[in-house]
Order: sequence, then C-alpha cells, then structure tokens
Amino acid sequence: MDQLPNLGREQEMLQSMGLKSMDDLFSDVPEEVRRTDPLPLRGPQSEEEILADAQHLLGVNIDLDSRPSFLSAGLSRNFVPTMVPMLATRGEFLTSYTPYQPEVSQGMLQAMWEFQTMVSELVGLPVSNVSMYDASTAAAEAITCAVRVKGRKATQKGVVYVSQFVPPHRMSVIENYTQGVGIELRTLEHGMDGRVNLEAANEAQGACAVYVEQPNAFGELDEGISQLKEIIGENTALIVGVDAVSLGIVEAPGNYGADIVVGEGQPFGIGPTAGGPIYGLFACKKDFLRLMPGRIVGKTLDEDGKDAFTLTLSTREQHIRRHRATSNICSNETLIALMGAMHMALLGPEGLQKLALRVAATTEVTKQAVTGIPGIELIDPDTPNFREFAVKLPGNAVDAVTYMDSVGVLGGFPMGEWWESMSSCLLIGCDERTTKSDIDALVSSLSEWVEGVTA
Amino acid sequence: MSDIFQFNGAEGSGWSQPEPIIDDSLNTVPVSLRRSNLPRWPRASEPELVRHYTLLSQRNFGIDTGFYPLGSCTMKHNPRINERIVQLPGIDRIHPLQPEHQIQGLLSIYFEMQEMLEICAGMDQVTLQPVAGAQGEFTAIRCIQEYHRSNGDYQRDKVIVPDSAHGTNPASAAMCGYEIVEIPSGDDGRLDLDALRAAVGEDTAAMMITNPSTLGIFEPEIAKAAEIVHSAGGQMYYDGANFNAILGKTDPGRMGFDAVHYNLHKTFSQPHGGGGPGSGPIGVKEHLAGFLPSPIADREVAEDGGVTGDGYRYFWRTPDSTIGKVQQWHGNAGAVVRSWAYYRRYGKELELMSEHAVLNANYLRHQIMNANSDKRDAIHCMPVDGAPAEVVKHEFTLSMQPLKETTGVTGKDVAKRLLDYGYMSPTLYFPMIVPECLMIEPTETESREVLDKFAEDFLTILSEDPELVQTAPHDTDVRRVDEVLAARSLVLRKEFD
Repeated sequence: MDQLPNLGREQEMLQSMGLKSMDDLFSDVPEEVRRTDPLPLRGPQSEEEILADAQHLLGVNIDLDSRPSFLSAGLSRNFVPTMVPMLATRGEFLTSYTPYQPEVSQGMLQAMWEFQTMVSELVGLPVSNVSMYDASTAAAEAITCAVRVKGRKATQKGVVYVSQFVPPHRMSVIENYTQGVGIELRTLEHGMDGRVNLEAANEAQGACAVYVEQPNAFGELDEGISQLKEIIGENTALIVGVDAVSLGIVEAPGNYGADIVVGEGQPFGIGPTAGGPIYGLFACKKDFLRLMPGRIVGKTLDEDGKDAFTLTLSTREQHIRRHRATSNICSNETLIALMGAMHMALLGPEGLQKLALRVAATTEVTKQAVTGIPGIELIDPDTPNFREFAVKLPGNAVDAVTYMDSVGVLGGFPMGEWWESMSSCLLIGCDERTTKSDIDALVSSLSEWVEGVTA
Repeated sequence: MSDIFQFNGAEGSGWSQPEPIIDDSLNTVPVSLRRSNLPRWPRASEPELVRHYTLLSQRNFGIDTGFYPLGSCTMKHNPRINERIVQLPGIDRIHPLQPEHQIQGLLSIYFEMQEMLEICAGMDQVTLQPVAGAQGEFTAIRCIQEYHRSNGDYQRDKVIVPDSAHGTNPASAAMCGYEIVEIPSGDDGRLDLDALRAAVGEDTAAMMITNPSTLGIFEPEIAKAAEIVHSAGGQMYYDGANFNAILGKTDPGRMGFDAVHYNLHKTFSQPHGGGGPGSGPIGVKEHLAGFLPSPIADREVAEDGGVTGDGYRYFWRTPDSTIGKVQQWHGNAGAVVRSWAYYRRYGKELELMSEHAVLNANYLRHQIMNANSDKRDAIHCMPVDGAPAEVVKHEFTLSMQPLKETTGVTGKDVAKRLLDYGYMSPTLYFPMIVPECLMIEPTETESREVLDKFAEDFLTILSEDPELVQTAPHDTDVRRVDEVLAARSLVLRKEFD
C-alpha cells in the first residue's frame, strides 16, 4: 500500500496515546453494529496493474473518435486544446477545496471571476455563477429561482410554462426539482413547423416563468423566441437554454430579453466523458442575484487595499441558510468550469465565431446530404438547424442505427427512446470535427439501409 | 496580477483551428437571429495563457502544496493514476447514449463500483447518477418521498435533522418540499434520543443523520434511533460525508439505515478541484430500490464470454418505479472511473484506510490536547474538546471559546494565522453547536511528522501575541480579505470601458 505514510508505525503512534491496538480506536462502535468479517472484495492492486485493467476495460469501449459519429443530443464531440487538461490538472488547482480561505485561494477565485465575466459576455447577461452540475440541473434551478423572484407578482401562482420540445431526460430532472415545492409545470405548445406557437405563448402572461431552448431538441433555431419576452411581459421570467457554441453566431439571449440563460458548458473545456463531469452555465439579470443558486465570486480589497477576490453572497447558501437556502448545491463543477474558461480564453471572440461557423457548416452539409437520400425527409423542412437535425425514416430508427453500427458508423440517436411517436425519427448530430468523409460514410450506410427496407 | 482581459492582441484568436467545410455557413442562421456583437473575451496566444494560468495556480493552496486539515471534507491525497486513466479515449471520448455493446467496459466499471459500494455500506442497490453529495441527499429523499406516496402515506411531510447536521441535509429535504424539524443535541454533543422520541410521529418521512457525527464521534445509540424512527413509520437516511471513518468496521446497513449517500470526492479520492466535480452515489435497501433514478448498470451471463472477458454482458436497467433522472446522463462517469482506480488500490483492505484516518485524527488530537508542560505554560488558553470522548473517529472539533474570552483571539484568527504557517485552515465555525469551533480532519495520507509539526505550530499560535494573531495572515498572497465590502459593492465581473 503506497497511500499510507504511517503504515508500519501504528504501534508507536498508538502507544504514545496510551492505546494498544487499532481496535481500541473503534471501541466506541457498539458490538451490535460492528462488522466482524472482512469485506468480501477483491485483493489490492498495484498502480501498474490498475492501469493495465483500466486500459483493458476502457479499451473495449468504442470511442467516438474511432469512427464517423453523429451522436450529439446535447453533448459535443469537441476538440479540447492540449493546454487545457495539462494546466487544469496542476495540483494547486486540482487538489484544492472550495476557496473558503481567500487569502490562499486567489488563483482559483480570480480564474472563476474571469469565467463569470466570459459567460456573462457570452450570453448577454450581467451575472453568472461559477457553474451548476450540468444543463439539466441549471435549467431546473433556473425555474425554481424564477419562481422565487417572480412568484409574488405572478397572477398564475407557481406556474411555469416549459417548451414542448425539451428532451425528456432533461425534463425529468426539471420535474424532480420542481415537484415538491408548489410549482406547476405547463406545456408551452409548438406549432406543426416545430416553432413555438406565439399565440399560445400569450397564455403564459402572468405566469412565473417560461422555459424554452434555442436550438430545441431537434436542433432547430426559432426566430419567434426573440419575440417571447415582449409577449409574456416583465412579470414573467424568460429562461432560455442554449447551445453555448451557437452563440458565436446566434444572438445572445440577454439581447432579446432573456432573464436567465442556462446551458451545457461541456463543449468548452472537456470531452463528452460519458456524460460527466460536465458543467451547467447559469447567468441572470441582477434582480435574480440574491435568490440565485450556486457560488459567486466578487472582487474586493484586502486589508492593505490590494485587489482581491472572494466568494460572496454566501448568505443564500446551504451552509449558512440551511433549509431556507436558495439551493442545496455545495460541490459544483469548478474544475471543469476552469477548463471551460481556459478553452474560451484561448478561442477568443473570433475563435468562438469560427467554431460556431464550423459547426453550422457541417450541420448544413450533412443535412443537405442526408435529405438527398430518397425516402428521407426532415421533420421540419423549412427550419434552420444548428448542430442537430431530425429526419423521418422509412422504418424504425433503431433498426437504422443498428445497421449503420454494423458497418462502423455511429449514425445518430433514435428519437423513439425520447418520444414513442417518433420511433421512425433519427436525430443526427454534427460538430466542428465532422469531415466530408464522415458525411459520405453516413450517407452511404443510411442509403444502404433505406434501400434494404424499401426494396 | 492583472486579469486575463489584459490580453487583447490584434491578430484575433490565439488558437488555430481548421476552416469551416463551407464558406457561407453563416447563411444558415436567419438574419434576425444573428449575433450583433461578439463577446469581449480575451485575445491571447497560448504562451500568454499558459503563463497566466500557471501564475494563478501558484496563488492557490492545494493538498499538493500543504497540509489541508479541513474537517468534514476529507482532503486526502489524490493519486495521479486517476488523472491518467480519465484521459483515455475509452472514457473521455464516450457519449452516454452510445449503444450498450459499445460501452461494455464502462458498464462493467459501473457495475463493479455499485457492488463495492453496496458491500461497504450494507445496502442492496446503488446508483451512481447523483453528481454531488447534496444531490445524493436530494435523490435519496426523493426516493423516500415516492416510497411513502406508494404506501398512501401522503401525510408524512416532515424530515428530522439534528442541529449538528451538514447544511445540505435540511436544504436537500426542503427542495423536495419537506418541512424540517431540527432536534437539539444532548449536552455531550451526541444524539438526544428523548428529543428524537418527542419529534417522531405519523408525519415523519425520514431522519437524516451522519455517523460519526459532525463532532467526529460515533453515535453509540444509533441503532436505537433507527428503531424509534422506524416504529413511527419513518425512513433513516445516512449522510455519508464521514464514511471515511468506518469502512470495514461497521456500515449504515447494520446501524439500521434505509438509504445512504457516498461522497466519492471524499472517501474515494476524486479530486475536489476547487469546489467540484464531486460524485454522490446513493445506496438503498431493497424496499427503496425500485424508486432509484434511471438507469442502473446490470449484467447477465454472456454465452460468448462477453466483450470484457469476464463472462458477462452488461446493460442499463430502469428501476420499476423510478423517479426518473436527477442528472441528464449517468452521473459523473469520470469521477466514478477515478474512484474505481482508487478502490482497486485497496480492494478488501479498505479497512486499512479507515484505520489510518482514525489513527491520525486521534494522534493529532492527542498531540494538541496533551502538549508537554513547557508548551502548555506558554499558552494563553488551551482549546476545549468540542465533544468529550475517549476516542474520536476521523475528525475532531476544538472550541477556541476560552481563548476568545481571555485574549479576544477568535477561532477565525487562529485559522487565519495557520495560513501563515503554510497550512490550510480547519473548517471554521461548524458545527454551530460548538462555540468558536475548529474542525480538524487530517486524513490517512498525512505522515506522523506532518501531524507533529502541525500540533507544535498550532500550540505556538496559541502562545503568540494576540495582536499578531488577530491581524493574521501576514505572509500570504493577500492579507485578510474584505468580505463585507465584496457583498456590499458587488463587482461580479470585469466591466469594460
């Protein structure tokens, strides 16, 4: 065992305390709850053996980079600059706790303050926290936050309208976070063209909040969303969930009236990592500040008048406010947010724009190529897309994905897993790294399958 | 040092990337939706940024730079093999929605971790989905809530927590809509069974408690407490923040708990990363298993021996009455894999880890409280044990109240002075039931020499000129930071001219 510096010195340490054995240290554990048999687990391993097992087990996984991959559904098969993991795993960052002692934590505090600034700039809102767990918990806590802030003036008490096209796995998180605290979720209807039904949106006037996503679950951009705030009015919060990369070319929601913006931070900073750790973006207008969830860094001075950073507004948080806290969040995703900050800083404004243009380009080319296959149609033909688009197939999408898999293509996500009525729909996701040969492989494997089912 | 926005080079992005595969992709965005102004991010080159972040890191204290006796947080060494493994494409480049046959290795690691955690806690089923301890609490309370509802027990609207509980406990229960009933600790800091008896009833949904308690002492009457709560029809929830103290010695199952969360970032060495990511799996007894979030890793015998070669085919299973999801995917898989690597280091010897954690805590407590007479004579005032006990578990509390009364030096002053000596401060003013509390958890990964030196320096501080201590820190990067000013005049981002 190479993790215990005092191994072999137990006796001398025990003796100095007047104790005889390790058992004496556990004499306070009553017999009736004491474990007497050893843990029925495998034997210990050396670092070398662990690495070999890890390489074997993780090696049998098929990674996204090993084949043409069109699976996105809210995550990005991004490229993370080499600098990012190398710097973020510096021990001073990696092995620190939440910076409760600002005098020896200025590094992380400043990096998070810079992160807040970059997120704030990205989404067009003045305040950002230092991360939520992921896009789904960010959306869920945006809703509970909006109800706290807008609840008093709302004429539809506790009511929040949520877009019909929020993916079910995200919706499920939202439901779990809102079910016990007097919030009623109602559906904000979309029209046959996939866009938010602006007529129906009138019903949301007087509700606490409206939650929509831009792009929606099918990767569709909706011009109507920029008119929503005008329709629902000042007393109803507009919460917009975004694809963070799209904001390199798509308007920042803060500029069309959004009160809170949330989204998945993952495309900046870390690979898809089987779904975590990733991080949720959370930014808002100033009137939400004192009732928002999560940690916030503020700039201040030290005793000598020198610039310094510190966590602030902690009175919202669980360790002070306990059951009256704005959230139970304690551990968040700071290190991943740090990686995000590094990635954003390296991209710069023009780099972000270019990244978004790259994704837009592969989305468009893939969309044109796939819809050129006879028998395949876009579910919403006249809607612009970013990163993803959904098509209707002449058969079950699970079968199509299975066939494409058999020829080495990860062809997308069968939407029947989200909505039963969409079992023939395939969600195809693109990213900045999608190549023309990837697209060729997708089109040829999908065409083969279509020919097979229509023959 | 100046901030990152000082970098504003003329050449645009500091990072090269390939050109878009078509030129006019901006046309895919409707004109009315196009971004008007780009975010004012820095324009920097790689060398500038590498230096910027390296300099920032040098202004940050981590376990790697010094002793980190932060109670309740288990700041143990983070083995570097963990970081190497999570860079492998078989985890970094995996999508959670990939078909099961493409991620058999990941599923097998999930299964192994679920099983190991079940064994260590005496629970029947574990889910790895919650991504932080607080989210684990929330998830478990949600399961308990659905369990009661499935029994028609809608009147159970209260959750009991001791006044020494972590703040997340009441906050998590409140997020599920529960009313919180706080019960006072006894004079010895232990759970007061009479107070518990008075608090339970037909409206009790659950009790949330950690054992060892936040005072670092084992609750000897925990099984009786469980009996009291159960006989009222409530469920027992174990806050696993202090799990590092008891592995292989006892487990929440034996103590009578129905549900438990684990902090992989405490007990199983997932790095804390300046505040996260964490991972907060939960384990439950059979009667709650059907309510767990979806999905859970499971396996069946594979005719062909399976892809991993262990004879099984792994798959995701949805529990029958699942509450759905608490995180969008399968939790913090990267943290699970790191913790798996850590577990493999110990295997069945995990008990050794807890023994050494407890040994170190008791040793350090002894070195501080039983200082030799020379040292003692010089000290203004000795601290008082937060809870009188023969032995503590993995942490202990000291009250600096006497020092404050005689010299005016507060617990916070001592904590800040420790920074000058190159230590991280212990947890300050928690639990709130101990006045001027310092909560100290050395963990098993500190050597005897470090503990001896810390005890000596700690006692030296208690003998220092009170003014020197009250004005500490003196030798840190910045002096005492004005938190009141920070909250009063909020500067939460860079303002550009």
